Amino acid sequence: MSTPSIITATETERPDLHVLERPPQVLNNRGPLWVTDAVCSIVEGKTPLWWYAAIAFTGTLAAIGGACILYMICTGVGVWGSNSPCFWAWDITNFIFWVSMAHAGSLISALLFLTRQRWSLSISRAAEAMTVFAIICAGVYPAIHIGRVWFVWFLFPVPNSYGMWPNFSSPLLWDVFAVTSYLTVSSLFWFAGMIPDLAVLRDRATTKVRKFAYGIVSLGWLGTARQWRHYEMMYVLLAGLTSVLVVTVTTIVASDCATSVIPGWHATIFPFYFMVGAVYSGSAAILTLLLPLRLIYPQLRDLITPSQLDKVCKLLLMMGSCVAYVYVFELFNAWYSANPFERGAFWERFTGSSAWYAITCLSINLTVPQLFWFKAVRRCLPLVFILAILCNVGMWFERFMIVTSTLTHDFLPSSWGNFHPTIVDILTATGTLGIFFTLFLLFIRFVPIMSMNELKAVLPGTQPHAGVGHSNHSTEETH
Amino acid sequence: MSIHFQGHHLPVAGSKEEPLYALGARFETPEALVHAVDRLRDKGVSLYECFTPYPIHGLAEAMKLPKSILSLLVLGGGVSAVLIALSMQLIPSCIIYPLVVDGKPLNLLALPQYVPIVVALTLMIGAITAVTGMILLGGMPRWNNPMFAWDLFAKDASRGFFIAIEARDRNFSTSALTELLHELGAGDITAIHQEASEEK
Repeated sequence: MSTPSIITATETERPDLHVLERPPQVLNNRGPLWVTDAVCSIVEGKTPLWWYAAIAFTGTLAAIGGACILYMICTGVGVWGSNSPCFWAWDITNFIFWVSMAHAGSLISALLFLTRQRWSLSISRAAEAMTVFAIICAGVYPAIHIGRVWFVWFLFPVPNSYGMWPNFSSPLLWDVFAVTSYLTVSSLFWFAGMIPDLAVLRDRATTKVRKFAYGIVSLGWLGTARQWRHYEMMYVLLAGLTSVLVVTVTTIVASDCATSVIPGWHATIFPFYFMVGAVYSGSAAILTLLLPLRLIYPQLRDLITPSQLDKVCKLLLMMGSCVAYVYVFELFNAWYSANPFERGAFWERFTGSSAWYAITCLSINLTVPQLFWFKAVRRCLPLVFILAILCNVGMWFERFMIVTSTLTHDFLPSSWGNFHPTIVDILTATGTLGIFFTLFLLFIRFVPIMSMNELKAVLPGTQPHAGVGHSNHSTEETH
Repeated sequence: MSIHFQGHHLPVAGSKEEPLYALGARFETPEALVHAVDRLRDKGVSLYECFTPYPIHGLAEAMKLPKSILSLLVLGGGVSAVLIALSMQLIPSCIIYPLVVDGKPLNLLALPQYVPIVVALTLMIGAITAVTGMILLGGMPRWNNPMFAWDLFAKDASRGFFIAIEARDRNFSTSALTELLHELGAGDITAIHQEASEEK
């Protein structure tokens, strides 16, 4: 029997059973084979010149950041600007910034998967990658900010040399467990989702090295019905676990601040505050990452459709509005509490030495996302890119504002102070940016940036349906 | 079309000297594969495996595969994680080295302070169980497989919906099954032999 590609033949029109038509997952009626080629071609093609240039730049930033960390470890935390009363400064600011960015990646892939928002399928892999890399960047800080890094094992659940155990009621210890489990779970979620796609790369590999490398990491995946059965179950379970974990981790990170009695931190709204801020900054980050990719690889334009980007913009708008609500509520609460310290902290925030970054944060976060009410703005992708970067800048300033402006102005005027970053602070922060983008560039180059199997499974005509083709009893079972 | 004729012209993958592993075939649509599974089951064939580039709705039901036990394993992993996390915190805090801060209780009365770590560890161990469970239940890691002897399959399994009927099946018969697969619209019907080991 000759084998013309009937797979493409099944893509022809079939009766539309949906009452409300979804926007197409992949534009231009592309078939499963096209999806495979489009996604694999990014990995299989010759390494483009821009990639070398980009990774040289980000790698240098990361190396400088690494050198700064080494210098800090050898010399002491005095090389940072953190000092009494502001013992937490850029270290915790950046930790919260990165870990928050990670949250949106998990939410986009896990929560939207659980709620069957199919539009997120083509961006979920990149979102998960963003999560893993952002947690790696976040993880840089907690370990080094303790000063004497070689005592980091005091945080592990083992007795120290005096026979003392860590204080399990401390939110800082909860943080260790939360971030460790978050990194583990999101890495597993990312890797497990990739196994079938890595097997596709293994099958298509032309060189021995690639065949071997992809062969090892794909663990011998064959796509048998039994494997898919367990795989689908695992995916649902992991999505469920990850969704809960995201909320837990943000809550715990927020508790670092909220369980203290410092005015400006001691608020029950903090977990929600951090959560919405996280999804807000993460949605902005995913737009910042995907829009250039779409420009560089034209084949992705059919896979990351304007309609999907539009939905991410709407998510950004919704979360931006929640963030605005929290800002207003925080100010209202400070006034309504009639607590002079609480009022003083917020008054100082907008009039004192921290005013410039508090005002930067508010002016960006209260206005920029509101522009996404307009369809013309959401559809103008260069503008979306710029606004998304602005949102992330705004969020960084928000974290900075929360951490430093609160610490520099608590109860006693004698313990008020100020914070000025040093060059080591700045280079370490840009170093984490370097680490993040270096990892993301490696991700683009070596693994499929989209979940091919998930995309193929929802393309029109790729699933057996009753009433189409055969009318035997097996198709009835599919419903 | 005689059986004898088909038997002669069956393409062979792998080494002919090695024992026959399975009869492989390729379908072009998922419907055809699901239909073929139904027919094979009617014929009493039970040792077969389907290979698809993405999960096919209804295929596992047609193959009468049981529900994955993974959810049970994850439940077990989660419950044991709760116990591990609670004892990891309560035993040091209450028995080995009670760290009294402000005279606050450390025992079960203070349960809320132990909850964050319990939740974090439960989710982590649950996820580890889910992934290792999926890998092991799916027969992985396994880097060699007789199916890789079949070039068409090994080179690009995403190009179609494959089935392999193992030679050790009780009702296995190359000729009858070849004819049946032809009738079901399968293409590239191939006898997959194991590959000659390199030591020989």
